[in-house]
Amino acid sequence: MKTNSIMFVKKLLQYAIVLFVAVTINFILPRLAPGDPLLSFYDEGTLRELSDAERQHVLATMGLDGTLFHQYIDYLKGIATFNLGESIQYSRPVIDVILDYLPWTIVLVLPAMLLSAVIGILIGAYSAWNRGKKRDTAMLTTMLTFQAVPGFWIGMVLIALFAVNLGWFPTFGAKALVAPPSVFGQLKDIAWHLVLPITTLCIATVGSNYLLTRSSMLESLGQDYIILAEAKGVRKVRLILNHGLRNAFLPVYTHIMMGLGTLIGGAVVIESVFSYPGIGSLLYGAVNARDFILLQGIFLFITMGIIIANIMADITYPFIDPRTKKLVKKEEGF
Amino acid sequence: MKKILRLLFVVTAYATLLIGCGKAVDQTTDVSTNASVAKELTVGIPNDFGPINLYTESEDWINEMVYDKLMASSPYIEKPIPWLAEKVTKENDTTWTVVVRDGIKWQDNQKFTAEDVKFTYEYYRDGAQNRYTHHVNEVPSIKAIDIAKDGKTLTFTCEYACPQLDTITFADLPILPEHIWKGVENPRKVTELAIGTGPYKLTEYKAGDHYTLQANTDYFKGEPTVSKINLPIISDSTAMFNALKTGEIDISKRTVPTELESSLLSSDFKLAKVSALSIVQLGMNFTKEPFADETFRAALSNAINQDALVKTVGSGVSGVEGYPHKDSPWTNPTNKQPFDQNAAITAFDKLGYKDLDGDSFRENQAGKKVTFKLIVASNEPIYVRVAELIKKQLADVGFDVHVKAEEPTTFAADSNDKNYDLYVSLIGPHGAADPDQFIMSNRSGYLWTKDLSYPAMDSLQKEWEATSTAEARKAVSFKLQTLYNAQPTAISLYYPEAVYAYNAKKYDGYVETLGFGIINKYSFLSRAVQKEVSTTTPDLLSK
Repeated sequence: MKTNSIMFVKKLLQYAIVLFVAVTINFILPRLAPGDPLLSFYDEGTLRELSDAERQHVLATMGLDGTLFHQYIDYLKGIATFNLGESIQYSRPVIDVILDYLPWTIVLVLPAMLLSAVIGILIGAYSAWNRGKKRDTAMLTTMLTFQAVPGFWIGMVLIALFAVNLGWFPTFGAKALVAPPSVFGQLKDIAWHLVLPITTLCIATVGSNYLLTRSSMLESLGQDYIILAEAKGVRKVRLILNHGLRNAFLPVYTHIMMGLGTLIGGAVVIESVFSYPGIGSLLYGAVNARDFILLQGIFLFITMGIIIANIMADITYPFIDPRTKKLVKKEEGF
Repeated sequence: MKKILRLLFVVTAYATLLIGCGKAVDQTTDVSTNASVAKELTVGIPNDFGPINLYTESEDWINEMVYDKLMASSPYIEKPIPWLAEKVTKENDTTWTVVVRDGIKWQDNQKFTAEDVKFTYEYYRDGAQNRYTHHVNEVPSIKAIDIAKDGKTLTFTCEYACPQLDTITFADLPILPEHIWKGVENPRKVTELAIGTGPYKLTEYKAGDHYTLQANTDYFKGEPTVSKINLPIISDSTAMFNALKTGEIDISKRTVPTELESSLLSSDFKLAKVSALSIVQLGMNFTKEPFADETFRAALSNAINQDALVKTVGSGVSGVEGYPHKDSPWTNPTNKQPFDQNAAITAFDKLGYKDLDGDSFRENQAGKKVTFKLIVASNEPIYVRVAELIKKQLADVGFDVHVKAEEPTTFAADSNDKNYDLYVSLIGPHGAADPDQFIMSNRSGYLWTKDLSYPAMDSLQKEWEATSTAEARKAVSFKLQTLYNAQPTAISLYYPEAVYAYNAKKYDGYVETLGFGIINKYSFLSRAVQKEVSTTTPDLLSK
């Protein structure tokens, strides 16, 4: 237990250092881009006519008037007190703005990623088992095509076919402008709006899950214990899932966890195609407006998401594959 | 394994059909048999304007749905009519009186009074800067605003003669409610929904998602013809026109690309073509050589073939009639920025720009290679194409041009910092058709700057300031325009035309107000009011 605690604390310290470096880069990066945040308030003509005094006053209200170092210290103080500042565009606390958009991102990206993972893993495992056969070739070709085709193009094709031509689904947005009166009706409406974006995101990402699973499974299926299990008469499904996939799952699991970590960043291109109000759209708008404060907040959320996903992956690895527990202890000298 | 996959496929397909075939919301609303009124209309808009705060980036057309001005409809027409004002009188060269209308209420039921007008003009003049500030503190410069004992008559006194105060300033500045804005220290931070006297009240705003406007049933010009207007924000242009085709929106604020016109015409949509009252222009960095030299600028203007550009771009009218916009009532009808390649070549030779090394590109008087950096926003593919055509046209007269397509915010920053030699961009109605703005643009750094000496322009501007009648001012303005177009700092390339597509079965009461297209507040007022403010029926494209 003491050993585990020391390892855990060491890991946390590592993540703290990563967080600090990431937070510093998050501060610097938006400021490197050319562009004036005052364009959120003024058109170019008015901005040109702005007096220096007025300009300084406006920058002061945004917290952008001091030196870079002072802004950085204020930024770090803000993070420590959970005050991420006020968005330049929206004149609202950054946390409030992000929390408005975050739920829409989660309901879009989480199901899409889980669906993509389940489908990719199952098909990948089946494909590896049938390596060299026509079904494997067909699945591999299909998945490589999905992987190669841009996500936005998939979205546009689905919209053209299922929304414009067939009229089965809406073409944009997360919900109807006029919400149905009942809660069930509202949930159904939201689900209806999610079908095409989730399908698009799923198709765009299933390829990587499939390829990773297939490759990992091929390695696993080549092991002697598989041949022994087959000789013992273990059923095919059990052979693939319990024996093959279980041992091949770790890299796939890592890939899924890293994907979950970036979930908070949304899917910029897909959200743009569907005019979907997620974090991706918010990020895109903030970049265009040079809303440094909001950009810092979004990047911080994404960084935290990735770090938390890493921590969760580290914690759950031993449950996925008990061999990792012994390996880590050996490496740490315990 | 096969069974699992089959089961997965069946479940997914069934779920999709279940959700897809049973639409959660009946998207159709009542379609009135009379398409000049409607219970509800959905207008797709491409941008988020915030809560319609005049101190943050917003657009005139949506501001005017909520706010009114003293005169209507805009400074882009020759004879605006009294609107919030009942009567406007010129007392002398520097003094105007305005009698405000009785019986008008703000959308929160407070009474509209002369105090609101005085407050607004002083707030724009003395408070935080916004787009209206220079229209009160410079061109024109309003010294004092007093309210008479009757409580409804205001007297505006200008620093110098202001003969067009009624037609330009009063028709441009929205009036703010004093009872809401009086205590506001930082107007940019106001996030409460806007309250005006206009025909529509902003009842809902969801950032990045939509606006909802409800008709102001007590509007002093009569109840609007559409009870509710929903404005979903659809930033992607393909999504916008898909939504129009499926009926999820009834009209798009985004103009129809040329390649989509025929497909929309073949269905139930009407396509209205209007003058955008804008100019796509080639601007120069007049703060440095060689563009500081008026002879060089004149020659460059001669080198541009606007007709050829329009033929290739396929949209708009040739800009050979120069600046301001040819459809503005304040424009000199004799303005010209003619194409004359031979004159351009001769002029450049005389100025000492010659090809010394035989590479077909000129060197300057010191023998140094001349390359111009031409910036353009990358999100405007037509302007990028125009920039490439300009590059070719300038190569024909011996100048090398490097076209740099920049991300929009970078382009805006470089434009502001004058980090370019040339640029291609659009100037909207406020810059292209407002005569006061033309003066301001020559002072502010846009078309010229008061920090740089330009004797001919400076003396005409003094003459302009000294004129005391609208006719005299117009005459001097014409002289300024003649001077400007002979040696322009921004060459008019073409005047774009805008095409709007709408579902006429849902609503067909749209009218064109010059500079505002067909989505403007007058489209939602009665026919009688539309006639009063001199709106026009838009030209419709035919099948």
